[in-house]
Amino acid sequence: MVTLEHDSLVFRFPSVHADARLAVNFRRTLRVPDDNREYPLPPGLGSFPLLHVDDYAERTPSAWSAHGGVFLPMYQAEALWIRFDRDDYPFAVKIAAGKIDAVTGGPWSPGLTAEPQDYLVTDKQPWLDGFCIAKGHVRQFVAMPLGEGFTAEEQLTGAAEHGGVQIVVYPMKAEVYEEAVAYRRMAPTIRMRMRWAVGSPVIGLAPGGLIRQKVYKDPHGISAWDLTQSSRCFVHILNSAQYRAVTGRMPPTEPLTAQAYTNAGLPWFDYYAADQAALAGSPKLASLDSVAAMGIKKGASPLTDNVPVNPGQVIRIRPDGSTVREGSF
Amino acid sequence: MEFGEYVRQAREAHRAKDRAYSVRQVARRVGIEPAYLSKIERGEQPPPSEATIRRIAEDLKEDPDVLLALAGKVSADLREAICKRPQVFAALLRELKDAPDHAILRLVREVRDGNW
Repeated sequence: MVTLEHDSLVFRFPSVHADARLAVNFRRTLRVPDDNREYPLPPGLGSFPLLHVDDYAERTPSAWSAHGGVFLPMYQAEALWIRFDRDDYPFAVKIAAGKIDAVTGGPWSPGLTAEPQDYLVTDKQPWLDGFCIAKGHVRQFVAMPLGEGFTAEEQLTGAAEHGGVQIVVYPMKAEVYEEAVAYRRMAPTIRMRMRWAVGSPVIGLAPGGLIRQKVYKDPHGISAWDLTQSSRCFVHILNSAQYRAVTGRMPPTEPLTAQAYTNAGLPWFDYYAADQAALAGSPKLASLDSVAAMGIKKGASPLTDNVPVNPGQVIRIRPDGSTVREGSF
Repeated sequence: MEFGEYVRQAREAHRAKDRAYSVRQVARRVGIEPAYLSKIERGEQPPPSEATIRRIAEDLKEDPDVLLALAGKVSADLREAICKRPQVFAALLRELKDAPDHAILRLVREVRDGNW
């Protein structure tokens, strides 16, 4: 089952195990410069508000009602990252943007695939910031209007059909979890009164600037996951102006720019897990044009404030730490 | 358990793994004075406002409803919901107060999945 709690999607599998609970949170962040330099992990700047599509069915595109799920507001060219909060129970999570797998660049498909691995594992991966383009590198998830050709979906399929983010979660098999818990216990430590045109999705995610982030290999093996049990959710994205018209609520304020954040001496982050193997990244995703590169091809300037920055303060976070990755203002 | 003691234990559990959870750093992220947080933890000050409790919960990755309950508070959204339909919610809560978690979870609204 999937519930909406404090702006997080909470996936529970009580029929598998009482501990099987995963919260998925969409974090606001600054957009890293899209200049082909690599940047550390940007901070979290709070949660995006999440609302049930069903509560606003008369004011959102009809296709959204068919999809179900939730929606969140983003400004054009705003970035996001996804946080996985769990207790001990591991999950395999498949993330797609516009039904393009963010790890492999392949089309959305049910189930999990081991080779190439098309999912991430939550006990190793606390966050996902973008499309996995190469070993140790992702291109940041950046919100762009569908229909202008910037999104990964449009670049790979030639169609502006889905937009949003799609998530499916598979729990670890209970017996595998119990065995792992028993082993650890032996160790000493550790949401216009109008309806849009039928089927017009609004925002999709495009590849933005380059961030140092690994997507880790599944250390458990695909047999560890209970493929008979899964929960999924379609997360629609609405631009912030439309969000106000649909919900009557104010969207969050515009996020800080990378330059303003850095100039204020605020920290960036690096996640350091030397002993964990990383996926090689997707050549398909690597072949995509970033928003800035596509802008040049189109003779457009889709990004404002896209100036290089030099992150002065970079905080290294280790896997055994509590992984605070929030800006403080 | 008292609110302050719970917060201190949660903070120190994080602190054991990550130095970013000192009183000073947590207080800075939450937007209060370190001395104030310290007094709250020791029970020398009553629990702070709902907004502050929510920020503490966010920083310590704790459930805000749990912290609000420990502070003897009910979150504003729940208060509003109950005040709009007091009889219905009073009856519901009395009916469910002894029900096991799994039975209550069946009543919780799920995010609907459709065709995509």
